[in-house]
Amino acid sequence: MAPPTAAAAEISPLPPLHPDLCQRAWASVPHPTLPLLATPHATLVTVFSLATLSKHSVLSGGHARSVRAATWQPGLAPGKLRLVTGSFDATAGLWSWDGGMEREVTANGGEEEGNGEEWEFNLVLEGHENEVKGVAFNPSGQYLATCSRDKSVWIWEDVGVAGGDGEDDDGGEWETVAVLNEHEGDVKAVAWCPDVPGRTGHSRYSADVLATASYDNTVRIWREDSDGEWVCVSVLEGHDATVWGLQWEPKPKDDKTFPRLMTFSADATIRVWTLQQDEEDEEAERQEASSNAFRPAWGGIPNTMRRELREEWECTAILPKAHTREVYSATWSAGSSLVASTGSDGIIALYGEGSPEEDVEMASDANLKATPGSTGLGTNGWRLLATVADGHGSYEINHITWCRRFDAGTDRKGEEEMLITTGDDGVIRPWQVRIS
Amino acid sequence: MQKSDLENANPTILNVSQLPSREQKRAIARHGPDSSYDHLLFSRESSSDTPSVSENDGRFEHVFDDALDQQEIYDLISTVSDPEHPHTLGELNVVRLPDIHLTPPQRDPRGLATVLVELTPTINHCSLATVIGLAVRFRLEQALPPNYRIDVRMKEGTHAQDEQVNKQLADKERVAAALENDSLQSVVNTMLKTCIV
Repeated sequence: MAPPTAAAAEISPLPPLHPDLCQRAWASVPHPTLPLLATPHATLVTVFSLATLSKHSVLSGGHARSVRAATWQPGLAPGKLRLVTGSFDATAGLWSWDGGMEREVTANGGEEEGNGEEWEFNLVLEGHENEVKGVAFNPSGQYLATCSRDKSVWIWEDVGVAGGDGEDDDGGEWETVAVLNEHEGDVKAVAWCPDVPGRTGHSRYSADVLATASYDNTVRIWREDSDGEWVCVSVLEGHDATVWGLQWEPKPKDDKTFPRLMTFSADATIRVWTLQQDEEDEEAERQEASSNAFRPAWGGIPNTMRRELREEWECTAILPKAHTREVYSATWSAGSSLVASTGSDGIIALYGEGSPEEDVEMASDANLKATPGSTGLGTNGWRLLATVADGHGSYEINHITWCRRFDAGTDRKGEEEMLITTGDDGVIRPWQVRIS
Repeated sequence: MQKSDLENANPTILNVSQLPSREQKRAIARHGPDSSYDHLLFSRESSSDTPSVSENDGRFEHVFDDALDQQEIYDLISTVSDPEHPHTLGELNVVRLPDIHLTPPQRDPRGLATVLVELTPTINHCSLATVIGLAVRFRLEQALPPNYRIDVRMKEGTHAQDEQVNKQLADKERVAAALENDSLQSVVNTMLKTCIV
């Protein structure tokens, strides 16, 4: 029997980033535009250059306990870098780069000089009672969401962003916009919906949409109503264990479709959820709203009516089963729309989405039948394209992300995508993905 | 965590001679499948389902030779001290040889091995169950090779909140954070002092 990897895609290892960190690293977060990658490990963050595939700089001295998460602030003026870290010390830290941008441009690594002097620890965001586990910026960079074992999600606003340009390079001014308390367990991850045209389909809310994943096995969707109140509009139930994380669909099929949500869990599954958009309803609402132009905003509506503002989200696919243990991470490509996942079993799996008709065709394929789960409950066109076992030897893999290549090994710098995995062995490993 | 009075003032304590040991183990039947057939099972698997594995045969044979058994796992954790009593988890019968379940690496083409340890707290509302579980998991993480995946649980029906405790002990992130907590860390370190490294 042919191995399932023979079909459509191949994942092959590239040399690991230099140096190995030699201790558990939790994640590697690519900068949205620049060739930089931030990897939290112990109380530090090591930033790698994706041009040289080696250490660029280190953020140290800001946290008393492990840094679990990091996120780059988007939308800053050119020449500015800002990283937010979330730590087991219950704080989020705000760091800015003071070392000029030459190092990215000259791309000569500079490992000797990169000892952390250029990163300034500007500001501590305090409020959470326990470990901060996730941090994420909304697409404009105005809002930061943080989540914690204390079961809460905080939304912070960078009020400095609207005014000046943060010329002084301090952390700017931050205000707490909301504290969301509905989860019944640790909140493991937060993710903002990307700024795609389909996002604004629902006119009753502001454009930003936040999704949160929890130890309580659920995912929640949050939106800001016209009173500026952040409300939970949907609870996504289906996973049988902790939901480790989630990602919004980076590039929906067309401009009208609201991005889907991918969630991954300790139950070893990856699920895709779709907003049930009822076009008739929406049209009716729009008409009603215009005919009642004089009536007060939603603030005048009693709370019982607000329940109708709930959104229906449905699990529309479970990806073919590739993992035997917890799925710690999955990543959805904006370029190719392929999904890759990894976890406790050390397996790296790659999935592609075809049309549902293709799925029927594929179901008769012996290879797919041999993959448990792939013919089962509603895979809805998703196919397992390739798997790699022992991606980091016998160690667990904590994170996987798509990332654009900027190194000398590619002909299409800034375009070709690769995968980067981060493991308990402290190795940050890029992978080339070839689709035939 | 600290209690002014003991959760269980009069636990049953096993005599050292009653504890399972290497000699005794030879006399009793092995738990789980007889590993002498594993090599056969493994080679059959590798030739049918997973052809890619064959190139790794040498490595798996190596693991096969070095594979740990239940008694060795028992020896690693039975010497952990109870946080409350001046006895080890073996003496208090919290750790029991038949409740150590091992899936050895040679049966898994990916080289992963799993160790499931089911703990029996001395009384069913023992609030120190999480700490004991944490110490056992930490001890095994330190002592076992990285291809061993460690699951520590309360034996079914032995603990009032076992669901909750089990979920906590299975959560890698929570375990990592707990071990960075100074007071928990010192409790765990004290418990592990009686282990021979």
